[in-house]
Amino acid sequence: MAHDSSQCDEPLNWGAAFFGWIMPGLGQVSIGHAKRGIFAGSGILGLFVGGLLIGGVDCVDRHEDPLWFYAQVGAGPIALASDWANSALLKSGTVGELVDTPSPLPRATPAKVSSFKTVTPANEIGTLYCALAGLMNVVVIFDALKRTRAEAPAGSGRNR
Amino acid sequence: MIGWIPILEPGGSLGHYWWLLLFPLVLGISISYRATHEVELVGFWRRVLRFAFKSTVAMGSLGAVMYLFVYLIIPLVRGG
Repeated sequence: MAHDSSQCDEPLNWGAAFFGWIMPGLGQVSIGHAKRGIFAGSGILGLFVGGLLIGGVDCVDRHEDPLWFYAQVGAGPIALASDWANSALLKSGTVGELVDTPSPLPRATPAKVSSFKTVTPANEIGTLYCALAGLMNVVVIFDALKRTRAEAPAGSGRNR
Repeated sequence: MIGWIPILEPGGSLGHYWWLLLFPLVLGISISYRATHEVELVGFWRRVLRFAFKSTVAMGSLGAVMYLFVYLIIPLVRGG
């Protein structure tokens, strides 16, 4: 099976990869593939925001769900901001109220959790949405890293 | 619903119809996946919908196979 060695000689777009992590799709936009970047970014942001709408910011929690968070953080600072909102707004009781919850251990002190915390499938599905958004953004970041920079000027009629 | 605070408060998972949320999930994945894998973006949305349809059928088929395995095969094996 023949491999195209010319693609291996292309320099990697590290800047585009960084921009792609900052904002999903921005990596492709920065190297001239605006339409492709907008499509990719809208899919990822749609997934992430959809997950937050379904399960709330409680879906992103680096302390309670670290493995899920590692996947979610692939979506960029939006995941870090969601985790911050979860800690600063919900867990502190700034929004909603803190209510006692039964402890799983008999002698442990009962913990207080936000009244906005979910224990329904909404949390699981929201967590899954956000995690898949993060993982898909890793795919998009790798695409931006390897993609050839667009040569044609904008508005030349080619779909890129 | 009127008192719902989007993003901060969970919106819910449609109760028994939670599985319907598979469709927007697959659509979001399809959009971002096809955006990176198409050589040209002509007919992009048609290909996204076709990819989403195939993925949904594949996942539904896996679910059906798991259902048959759990509710048919395992009881047969245990009974035999």
